[in-house]
Amino acid sequence: MFRYIHLLILSLIFIGCTKELDYNTLTISYSADIRGFDPAFATDLRTGKVISLVYDNLVRFDAEMNLVPALAKSWSLSKTSTKYTFNIRQDVRFHDNTPLTINDIVKSFQRVLASSTASPQTWLLERISGARDYMQGARNHVQGLKIIDDSTLVVKLNEPFAPFIQYLAMPATAIINVNSVESLSTTPAGSGPWKLAKWERDGEIVLSSNIDYWEKPPEMEKMRIRILSEVMTQSAEFEAGSLDILEVPQGELEYWQNLNYKLLEVDELNIWYVGMNCSRPPFNDIRLRRAMNYAIDREKIIHILLNGSAIPAKGPVPPQLLAGLNGFGYEYNPTKALQLLQEAGYEKGLQVELYVAGGTGMFHVLEALQSNWATVGINIEIKRSDWNVFKTAVREGQPDLYYLDWFADYPDGENFLYPLFHSSESMVKRNRFSDPDVDIIIEKIQRQTETNTRDQLIIKANKMVADAAPWVFLWHSKTTYLTQKWIHGFRPTPIFNANRYVNIFKLAPE
Amino acid sequence: MIQYFLNRLVQTVPVILGVIIITFVLMYIVPGDPVVSMVGERYNEETVQRLRQEMHLDDPLSLQFLRYVGNVFQGNFGNSFITGEPVAKLVMDKFPNTMILAITAMFFAVLVGLTSGIISSIRPGSLLDRGIMVLTLAGISAPVFWVGLILVLVVGVILRWLPPTGFGGFEYLILPAVTLGLRSAAYLARLTRATMLDVLSQDYIRTARSKKLPEWKVVIKHAFPNTLIPVITIIGTDFGSYLSGAVLTESIFGWPGIGRLALEAILKRDFPVIQGTVLFMALMFVLMNVLVDMLYGFVDPRVRLERSRK
Repeated sequence: MFRYIHLLILSLIFIGCTKELDYNTLTISYSADIRGFDPAFATDLRTGKVISLVYDNLVRFDAEMNLVPALAKSWSLSKTSTKYTFNIRQDVRFHDNTPLTINDIVKSFQRVLASSTASPQTWLLERISGARDYMQGARNHVQGLKIIDDSTLVVKLNEPFAPFIQYLAMPATAIINVNSVESLSTTPAGSGPWKLAKWERDGEIVLSSNIDYWEKPPEMEKMRIRILSEVMTQSAEFEAGSLDILEVPQGELEYWQNLNYKLLEVDELNIWYVGMNCSRPPFNDIRLRRAMNYAIDREKIIHILLNGSAIPAKGPVPPQLLAGLNGFGYEYNPTKALQLLQEAGYEKGLQVELYVAGGTGMFHVLEALQSNWATVGINIEIKRSDWNVFKTAVREGQPDLYYLDWFADYPDGENFLYPLFHSSESMVKRNRFSDPDVDIIIEKIQRQTETNTRDQLIIKANKMVADAAPWVFLWHSKTTYLTQKWIHGFRPTPIFNANRYVNIFKLAPE
Repeated sequence: MIQYFLNRLVQTVPVILGVIIITFVLMYIVPGDPVVSMVGERYNEETVQRLRQEMHLDDPLSLQFLRYVGNVFQGNFGNSFITGEPVAKLVMDKFPNTMILAITAMFFAVLVGLTSGIISSIRPGSLLDRGIMVLTLAGISAPVFWVGLILVLVVGVILRWLPPTGFGGFEYLILPAVTLGLRSAAYLARLTRATMLDVLSQDYIRTARSKKLPEWKVVIKHAFPNTLIPVITIIGTDFGSYLSGAVLTESIFGWPGIGRLALEAILKRDFPVIQGTVLFMALMFVLMNVLVDMLYGFVDPRVRLERSRK
């Protein structure tokens, strides 16, 4: 009996030792699987990231958040700011080797809009003239999409809309091979730097380098994205050397900082906040909302609980997007908070519920917020539920307070204003904030295509929103990545779909 | 025998119907909206309304239920709200993975459980017996996720004998199978020991011993087969629950099985997939019970006899 145990152990050691590092495969992990490979249904970050690896868009974002040419070599905007003219590349082929033509581009856009596709992402292309008619079936072609010749595409909008060109870098506007859309949810039909080799649901996504890529193909032959739902598991795999890159979970930062790994930090475009329902008591009172903001000691929470990996938020728009956004905001001032509470008639304090969803990593943060508010007499009861219940409640306007975050779709202040504070959005799915002046300035930002004027408008709108305090603005978090010693050329990007893992490679450490 | 089997199968129909009704009602009572998981952060209200309509979410519950049951009896389990793929395909893709894990875990449990149970029972009260009993107590009491994480840490990260987690060849199978099978192994060991002790004190064992049969022959040939009825019961029910997915084990080890499919579906309120997986799990469980009942007949002639009299 015992002899066999020894044999077993020996054989296990043997297995352990023979496994050598594969220098041709990059291995990373996601915490949950993607929805599929159909760009029209890419509504979450992970799916969007994978779509950006296997497909191309007309334009894309680089690591510095600039909009750069992709399938469109260049583009220009007409004087009226409603007509984009794209010069399309002629040397691009899909993974099945058929050439990518201007027709594919038009049909890809039309497919997203078509009612038969039932895509939730139609909002990206609805502003093209004739898009509405096409969606309702009144026409069989989107009038605003005009093919001039093999390499020239004109896209006409109903009215000037500055974010539109950035929409064209979003996953849902990726260009697909329109002749193979039948099984798009499981089989991508793109032209991107990576091809799909294997997809084992909830197991792994294996991609292989598209060596015929029109731009620089990836250095690595293969890339494995393993689906590991447990944070502990991900860390264990990284420590065992079978993951090359790890996104460090908030609670583990201190542990990893003390070990000998390469740490890379990136200021992601995001904001963490507590939404306050502005359309009913008690938070329809601006004094109370401001008091909520003054009561929080952001610096201390960031320093002690978040290991310094965040910057305090002074308004909704992250400061790295635009110079001149800083310089105001709510400092920690409990005296002022108390004073405002008194003015608002809450000398005796008040009791409210804070809705929270999911993850465990934030408990200590919530407790800190709770205690900050308690010192000025605002007693918060934390109400926890699963993500779906939480989102449904927020959508229906149930919570007085809710803790949530927002991650950018594209690097533009507008993305932190319109979807969050314009009344047409906030009133139906967020914290019921409505301010006609804010609406007007946000609409101006959307129409304005001249950069300087637009930047000034964003700065102004950011201040208006900060003053109105529809949220408790908390912080913009950084994300920390760990890489193994043998990983080179990895650079995390602030925008989710900018990293295409093309320049990354493995080299045996000396 | 076949008659008996068919009877049992017919008896399962009301069970399955009950399962469908309960899951259906529960899904709609529990708060949360599948559309929220589908549309992401930015969407138009029209999109939401259109999706609700397409998924028949606004129809009366009774109508939705009848439609579902009707489809199920035609072999159509619907399509996933999230990926649009047929539920039957999703379940069938995962089932082999779950099956492999379940079989390996059960193999481990039976091997370790029965062996240590028999060893224990030969010399009750000995040091070896006490050691095994302490270990089995620990095995029954330790929560699955804890055992899983400790194994990952010790075997995968510190000793590096096996890949910590993942899916692939046999080396990936060992840790999750041990994690999953440990409790059954411990339970089987204790059960085998208790039944063996009981059997070993019976008259016919004394007879066997008095015939001067070697002790191993007494234990293996005469005593052991008589412990099989309770052992098979445990194996059957545990195996049934393994087949219906081991959510914790699968999550810790990144094993793509039925359990995770169900969990993901629940989190996203993917109603057709929830319904499909729960139904499948129930079916597996019931089927295992029927099989266990049939096995009784094979191992115990008395059961067989009783049935033939009926």
